[in-house]
Amino acid sequence: MKAKLISGKRRRSREDWIMDSVIYVLAVIILFMTLYPFYFVFMLSFNEGMDSSLGGIYWFPRKFTLVNYGKFFNDLKWLRALLVTFLRTLVGTALGVAFTTLVAYALSFKDLVGRKAYMTFVIICMYFSGGIIPYYTLLRTLHLLDSFAVYVIPGMLSLFYITIGRTFFEGIPASLRESAKIDGAGELTVFARIIVPISKPFMATLALFTGVGHWNNWYDSTFFIKTKTLRTLPYLMMEVINQNQAPSDLNAASHMGTNTTTLSVQLAAMVISVLPIIFVYPFLQKYFVTGMMVGAVKE
Amino acid sequence: MEAKQKTWFQKFRQQRAIQAFVWAGMIYLVIFNLIPMFGLIMGFKDYNISSGIRGIFTSEWVGLKYFKEFVTDYKFGRLVRNTVALSVLKIIFSFPLPIIFALMVNEIHNLKFKKVLQTCSYLPHFISWVIISNIAYQFFSQAGIINTLLQTLHITGGPVGFLTDPGKFWGLAVFLDVWKEMGWWTIIFLAAITGISNDYYEAAQIDGASRMQRIWYITLPCIKSTIVVVLIMTMGNLFGGGLSGSNFEQSYLLGNSLNAATSDIIQTYVFDVGLSQGRYAYATAVGLIQSVISVILIFVSNFVSKKLAGSGLF
Repeated sequence: MKAKLISGKRRRSREDWIMDSVIYVLAVIILFMTLYPFYFVFMLSFNEGMDSSLGGIYWFPRKFTLVNYGKFFNDLKWLRALLVTFLRTLVGTALGVAFTTLVAYALSFKDLVGRKAYMTFVIICMYFSGGIIPYYTLLRTLHLLDSFAVYVIPGMLSLFYITIGRTFFEGIPASLRESAKIDGAGELTVFARIIVPISKPFMATLALFTGVGHWNNWYDSTFFIKTKTLRTLPYLMMEVINQNQAPSDLNAASHMGTNTTTLSVQLAAMVISVLPIIFVYPFLQKYFVTGMMVGAVKE
Repeated sequence: MEAKQKTWFQKFRQQRAIQAFVWAGMIYLVIFNLIPMFGLIMGFKDYNISSGIRGIFTSEWVGLKYFKEFVTDYKFGRLVRNTVALSVLKIIFSFPLPIIFALMVNEIHNLKFKKVLQTCSYLPHFISWVIISNIAYQFFSQAGIINTLLQTLHITGGPVGFLTDPGKFWGLAVFLDVWKEMGWWTIIFLAAITGISNDYYEAAQIDGASRMQRIWYITLPCIKSTIVVVLIMTMGNLFGGGLSGSNFEQSYLLGNSLNAATSDIIQTYVFDVGLSQGRYAYATAVGLIQSVISVILIFVSNFVSKKLAGSGLF
């Protein structure tokens, strides 16, 4: 049908011609505006910091160097932050996926006693919150403040994905579970052996989004952490902006003895922080449309 | 009655393994979501942080003291103005642009180019505001690319203080919000467009409808319900910053002492007085005002959604 429509398209009218031109030109401009900032950061991270501060570099490094990356990987502060960020992403994603999937699965049972009440409670928690200050008080009381646990424990249950997961698990025929239970398997065995293997699309979506969320999160390291060794990569990058309230100062702070500046090392950090996302991007793309659609239909 | 209760209990016992999973989740929610909701009452109390969670319930009532204090604070007017202005501006720009972009992408017939365009346009959604703000500092600073370009083209005489001039913050915030999230929200509209039957277009083509007419009379009406649903979702999070909920992150990361007059919003104020100055009860009261407005908006959106689109959020 579609092919017929395209081949059946007669001579392009004047209107077609004008519209196509406008659309393609606009599309190229949008594409450029989207990609160039990333390219710029990437390119500038390979230029000598002191030279960069003179400006005038737009397409290629003027004084190519790897020293910004060298500085990054030789600075314990950045390395530690990278490690903490990596660990929280790993642990946070594992815990989050396991817990959210398990609860979503349990809530998908049609004959579950109290199912309606549970779901109402989940929805209430999804849309309403006590706000940051009571939350902070809670974290303080639980002794979660200023510990690695604050990165991974509070976000363990994703309510949005519980609603999506529940819909997903409802689609799994009950007979599948029952056959295994007749063979004497417990609920946890059924979950691990039968449900998990067929839930890969859901769990992958959840893992990717949770993982990106952890990797990008600057917020909890800023407000809930005081110990310097527990800082994350996004926090350090945030700190540089905050310290240089007047943005032109960014260029001024040069490092003695090297050609790097605060800014040039920051650029290297930005590239290092974006790379994993670019790396998982193809996988993200494979799943996010479904993930988002389910949510949209539900809402 | 008795027999029914027994079966209910028996059923519960039968599913105890599953119920255990559910209860693990529910207990978690009670701790991390429900208790903080009750914590809101500390906005009406003379709360001291050293008394912990228990102190929320045991401390003295002070009524509306903190609310009165906030309303009479000299910052009150500007905080409300900035919060409302940023939110409304984001609805005006961040909401329609993905629709227009989706219509545009749909008109591209070169499939490879279309795919590249789409793939690239989602990318910024996955990059954190910290990095986006860093990039923005690069591009919009006094000696940055944008200022160099403006001066080379003689559009402006001197550098424009995009990051420091209070008159520029709203524009900058909305621009970056659109830049980051437009592609992402396009997905949902494009999916709706893809679902439209080809027959309509063929029929219209036979009737001699131009491309513009086809967009206006077929595509747009067919995705109307999707547009309504997304608009309602946006309204539900109006003061968070609409679609992407970016108000707090933008104001925190891009706001500074120079543009504070337009970048301070209620959310950043709550953080400032609450976590930095340690005035927990007062900050809770301030946050509560915004929460109440948001809850009202959610209910109104939900009601409108049920009327217009047939289904609500809950």
